[in-house]
Amino acid sequence: MKNRILIVDDSFYMRTMLKNMLTDAGYEVVGEAANGQQALEMAAATRPDLITLDVILPDNTGLDVLKGIRLDQPDVKVVMCSAVGQEVIVNEALESGATAYIVKPFSEEKVLEIVGSALQEAASDQA
Amino acid sequence: MKSREQEYREIFMSEALEYYDAMSRHISELERSPTDESALNELFRLMHNLKSNARAMGYTPIGEVAHHMETIFGLIRDKEKAFTGSVVPVLFKGIDTIGEMVRAVGANEDLPDVVHLTANLDRLVQGEEPILEPETTDDEDATRKLELSDLVYIQVKKLDHLMNLVGELIIDRDRVLTLSQEIGNPALIAAAAHLSRIADELQYSVMDARLVGVGSLFSKFPRVVRDVAMAEKKDVELTMTGEDIQIDRNILQIITDALLHLVRNAIGHGLETPAERVAAGKPAQGHLLLSAQTERDDVLVQVRDDGRGINVESVRRKAVERGLVAANVAATLDDNAVRAFLFEPGFSMAKEVTEISGRGVGLDVVKLAIDSLGGQLRVDSVLGQGTTFTLVLPTSIAVKGALLFQLDQRNYAIPLMHTDSVVSLLPENFNVVGGMLLTRIQDENVPVVSLRRLLHNGDGPLPPAVRTDLEGRQDIIIVNYNNRRLGLIVDRFLRQQDIVVKPMSKPLDTIDLFGGVTLLGSGQVCLVLDVPALTRLFLAKRP
Repeated sequence: MKNRILIVDDSFYMRTMLKNMLTDAGYEVVGEAANGQQALEMAAATRPDLITLDVILPDNTGLDVLKGIRLDQPDVKVVMCSAVGQEVIVNEALESGATAYIVKPFSEEKVLEIVGSALQEAASDQA
Repeated sequence: MKSREQEYREIFMSEALEYYDAMSRHISELERSPTDESALNELFRLMHNLKSNARAMGYTPIGEVAHHMETIFGLIRDKEKAFTGSVVPVLFKGIDTIGEMVRAVGANEDLPDVVHLTANLDRLVQGEEPILEPETTDDEDATRKLELSDLVYIQVKKLDHLMNLVGELIIDRDRVLTLSQEIGNPALIAAAAHLSRIADELQYSVMDARLVGVGSLFSKFPRVVRDVAMAEKKDVELTMTGEDIQIDRNILQIITDALLHLVRNAIGHGLETPAERVAAGKPAQGHLLLSAQTERDDVLVQVRDDGRGINVESVRRKAVERGLVAANVAATLDDNAVRAFLFEPGFSMAKEVTEISGRGVGLDVVKLAIDSLGGQLRVDSVLGQGTTFTLVLPTSIAVKGALLFQLDQRNYAIPLMHTDSVVSLLPENFNVVGGMLLTRIQDENVPVVSLRRLLHNGDGPLPPAVRTDLEGRQDIIIVNYNNRRLGLIVDRFLRQQDIVVKPMSKPLDTIDLFGGVTLLGSGQVCLVLDVPALTRLFLAKRP
């Protein structure tokens, strides 16, 4: 079974890049959300294994989305995407249950490494 | 094929230009009200995105400027700095520079020098005074390049004219194709086939040029919902999806009032007050969803609320009170058939007239607007849980899928939008009840009428049907209007075809049974039947 991933980012550019990286690596991208509301709806509808979540979104902040998703799906792995200088938010996200974080601009290797180990963690959670 | 780098570059460019436009807009808002929180949040977010994207593309100077700008907008947002004095011109300059840099990337030119700007931005971050450049001289204005946008704005009227011409062309194309087959000259056939392909492509290009995103209409609703909710003392959260779905601009124009009415209705009558909702065990805040999606060739637009729902029994009672249906018949109707009464003229369920949604315009007006497009209006509702109105709309007005058939040697067309199915039945498949032919289609009794009788019978009621009138197999088109199904007996099915419907010219345009006319490739005129009018005629004349 391919691991299923939901991408949340308000930039189409970032979403496209992430989608290409993840699909090339053999993951299934089940949806792309551009704002917090869409993210919550798509997360509920697609029940992915992992979500990449941008820290700054137009309607909610990424943190609110993270908390919303956590209420509904305590097991899904969430990888925060942030830029340099957002360490405070990233720390808060990790405390609120984010699995890991990637710092933009990200390299393909780094993304795949972090997503891969988060999913491995998910597999061993279930075992 | 496009390389991935090229694809990324194109996406980066179009998004960056969009960001730049939005930034220019938001900073002007900020100039008018320097503490506008949403403008500040947006500027912060846009700078942040531009920074990340530019760095990923390797456009370091853009990333640098955006990074500095993001920091300063963050400080202003957090009230550690104010949007006043020397801060203002530096930030305006920053956004101008971002525009210049993005355009330079697009034109494959060297990026402008930003040392002076970033130094000034650094000074602002550290709370120092920036060193402002002298006022722009006329010289510099004169050397500034003028940029022409890649987009042209065009009047809808001109597009309408273009569409009409294409409609004429399509009719002539079919005519030429048929003639070329008849004459049988190979060179002529080849030329006609080529003409046909070009005409097709032209038709789709023109149709495509008329498409706009549903979002251009949806975007007006957050404000409407806020105002209506306030006047009605309701607490409403609005969600919108499918803003990118494309539809003909004129269709969007025609449904504007209908959608406005449905949204006002949903807030005024559908959603309960916060107190009522809490008492019913629901969250105090009501939810309204405005969505668009494509389904085959149609666009579905839905207005969904999680309010009190429609009480089918009171609609049933009211339909009987208004004389729309006999009490014994009303008792046998299913919920869908009962809810369809809501679309009858003057049928309003509002107990009291409220300021916003009780202006005497009922759902029948919504229904008429959708009918005029050849669309459908549906309502689903669960008592206590909410109501959904669904508008089924064609993507384009000009070309319609239609079923062609013959009656008395003449050709007719019925739009597929109103066609449920076609069946061929033997006389023993019919029952006669109360002088009316009935047949069972998918476990439902559907009345069937000879289209010839319906059209040629004059003004009086139809004579009672007898089964012996039917000889051999009967070709029947099952049409559907407002949840009523009706079978029409015709002489012969011909085929399914996309047709260009032309309005009837005077004085025939007053005959509402015909929605228009089309020309077939053979040059024959073909009348297009209007299913809503046919259904009304049947209801008025049935024995």
